[in-house]
Amino acid sequence: MTPHSPGTDQIDTLLWIGFVAATILVVAVVGGLLYMLRRYRAERGAEPRQVTGGRGIQLRVGAGLGILATVLLVVGIVYTDKARETPATGAAGLQVADSEPLRITTTGQQWLWRYDYPNEAFSYYKLVVPVDTAVELDLVSTDVVHTWDVPELAGKRDAVPGKTNHVVFRADEEGTYFGGAATLSGEAYAAMRTEVEVVSPQEYEAFVESEKKDIQAAQDRVVSLIESGEAP
Amino acid sequence: MNESRNPELVVDGFPPRRPRWAQIATSSDHKDLGRVLIAGALGFLFIALVELLLMRLQLAIPENTFLTPVTFNRMLSLYGATAIFLFAVPLALGFFYYVTPLQIGARGTALPQLGQVGTWLFVAGATVLYAGFLFTPSEAGVNPLPPLSGLTFLPNNGVDAWAAATGLATLGFVLIAIDLIATLRRLRAPGMAWRRLPIFSWAAAICSWLLLAIGPVLLAAIAMLLIDRNFDGIFFAGDAGGSPLLWQHLSWIFYTGAYMLVLIFALGAIAEIVPASARKPLFNRGAVIGSLVAIAVVGTLAWMQNMLTAPIGIGWMYFAMVMSLALIVPFGLIFFNLIATLAGGTVRMRAPLLFAAGAIAAISLGLAAEMLHSMVAVGWRLQHTVDSTAATHFALIGGAVFGGFAALHWWFPKMTGRTMGETLARFSFWTMLAGALLAFVPLMLAGTEDGQVIDAYKFFDATGVTAYNLIASIGAFVLTAGILMTLVNAILSREGGTPAGHDAWGGDSLEWFALSPPQPHNFDLLPDVRSDRPMRDIREAIAHRDARSERPARETQPVA
Repeated sequence: MTPHSPGTDQIDTLLWIGFVAATILVVAVVGGLLYMLRRYRAERGAEPRQVTGGRGIQLRVGAGLGILATVLLVVGIVYTDKARETPATGAAGLQVADSEPLRITTTGQQWLWRYDYPNEAFSYYKLVVPVDTAVELDLVSTDVVHTWDVPELAGKRDAVPGKTNHVVFRADEEGTYFGGAATLSGEAYAAMRTEVEVVSPQEYEAFVESEKKDIQAAQDRVVSLIESGEAP
Repeated sequence: MNESRNPELVVDGFPPRRPRWAQIATSSDHKDLGRVLIAGALGFLFIALVELLLMRLQLAIPENTFLTPVTFNRMLSLYGATAIFLFAVPLALGFFYYVTPLQIGARGTALPQLGQVGTWLFVAGATVLYAGFLFTPSEAGVNPLPPLSGLTFLPNNGVDAWAAATGLATLGFVLIAIDLIATLRRLRAPGMAWRRLPIFSWAAAICSWLLLAIGPVLLAAIAMLLIDRNFDGIFFAGDAGGSPLLWQHLSWIFYTGAYMLVLIFALGAIAEIVPASARKPLFNRGAVIGSLVAIAVVGTLAWMQNMLTAPIGIGWMYFAMVMSLALIVPFGLIFFNLIATLAGGTVRMRAPLLFAAGAIAAISLGLAAEMLHSMVAVGWRLQHTVDSTAATHFALIGGAVFGGFAALHWWFPKMTGRTMGETLARFSFWTMLAGALLAFVPLMLAGTEDGQVIDAYKFFDATGVTAYNLIASIGAFVLTAGILMTLVNAILSREGGTPAGHDAWGGDSLEWFALSPPQPHNFDLLPDVRSDRPMRDIREAIAHRDARSERPARETQPVA
């Protein structure tokens, strides 16, 4: 998958570093094992050497492994810190006052994602955000634990009842990114998908305005129906 | 009757007073109970595989309708509980319980009734879990996270059955662990100092202490879950002063510890098999023992590695990463010492060593993948994907299935007096290895590349994981076929295997001094332990004496 946010860029780099280290370790263990099993098979007819290793070699091997672990730890912290940074909104993005990220409350509920925009418009399933703009999702849940997961834009985060969790990203390209939920949440868990549509700031403004108008119109219609006695 | 038997064996040759099943059902002998645990665990391995195959059939093609979502979630919940609580942990404990008293030269365990109650609590737990079929099994998944596992979202009694079942089994495991700890502390043969204790008995001691630490944590969490569900409790109610995160912490402490327990069991068994198969001593006992202790402590402290996406502070995530990455040192040292033990030896490649080598390969692959998951930012990407399913399965199939089968082939001659068929073992091993790679490598790719999410009852063609899932489903069937071969081999070899002497492999520890199968009291005579390789000392003494007296080697227990 291609990363489309500064945070996922960092995750991608760290993933490759970790993958190389993991591959080296597996090849060393499996390779060493296979070599020894072939090299010292009983068929060659030699007597086994009754040798054991001293403390020195254990310390050297242990120190080598310790250095590898420390390097991975430092690299891991450096890249994780970079991935956590809230990216600044770019020139092409939506300019929010005081260079604050665009805050969108994201609610997990069985089995839909709901997005509440700053102007009180909301949408289900589809999140629309402006391109090149720092976006922070405040993740909450109304029922069970859900995990918001759009891998191209950000790492996963849980929406846990009673807590607020945060996801930051800045989409670098207009387009549609797919994702969903990643923690078993009951019957329709697999169908709990989501879609992030990245558009230009103008289209975003137009979207939230029309969304707000539609919601208002629908509410007015309900109120008028109730007042006229046509609805309970 | 052989005239060389000891006169004190007056009960030998008496007909059994009760039928075999009644004897086993009432026995408090560690060998009988160990066999109940091992046989039960292997039976539940079969059931877990059936559940896995049903899930893999559902996931063979995109948007399949073979299983309903509810049925899939029930299979998933049963599979997780069966694989962990009814297979992996009891298998490890069964071998510990059977072998440890023999290895330390004890005539039994210190608190046999405790082990007896523990074993039958495990059986009771298994019965309760599957009695769930009478109404409705749990739908809450492998780890039933509240609030989903709460009364609001799953009002039927499935989760109650899950909690009662795993609670009973865990209580049983803790009781067995207490018996093992008492046995290891009080009943070691004269001269069997801790520094001379066989590695597998060390593993038993470490795992028992570990269970003593993590078992009560899960029992407390289960009690809270049952109170929440049945008595209006608020332990895990986020809006009423409790927190769903509390369950996550407590349950993950247990699950992570149990994961380490399975690996320590497997590595302990492998560290017996490798030196004896290479006819060399272990390269460095101290380093291996110290590493096993470190894995138990550091590994369990890494429990928050499973919570990197949860709303916890970044400091806790880094704590989990420090602990996870620190595990590179003890695991690396153990692998290094096992490989170095082979160097310069004469390696006889029999079935136990074959499975041990497979276990080392699978465990190292699984752990390397887990290492990647523990690097926090990467964890945000890879956790909750099928890549984490694959990593966990590689490590635990490596530990409990490959490692467990290595232990099974190794100690089978001791338990039954017969060796397991070598040809079938080889077929089984290669089928299992091919099956495991086919089943889980594609899932690693699907999770890493395409982010396919964990535990879902279906996937969509548009996500590009169709081919991966089809291969994984085929692999699961191949893996199952391989595992079934070993289960069949074990059943057939009980009566039809090649008779093995008391010392089937030339091992260095004292269980090979007992008869195969051992007498009820294990040993007529206890040797004076003078080194960490007591059986080798005995063998040399016998060779020395036989050379003098020119008497042929006997089939009965040799007298040192």
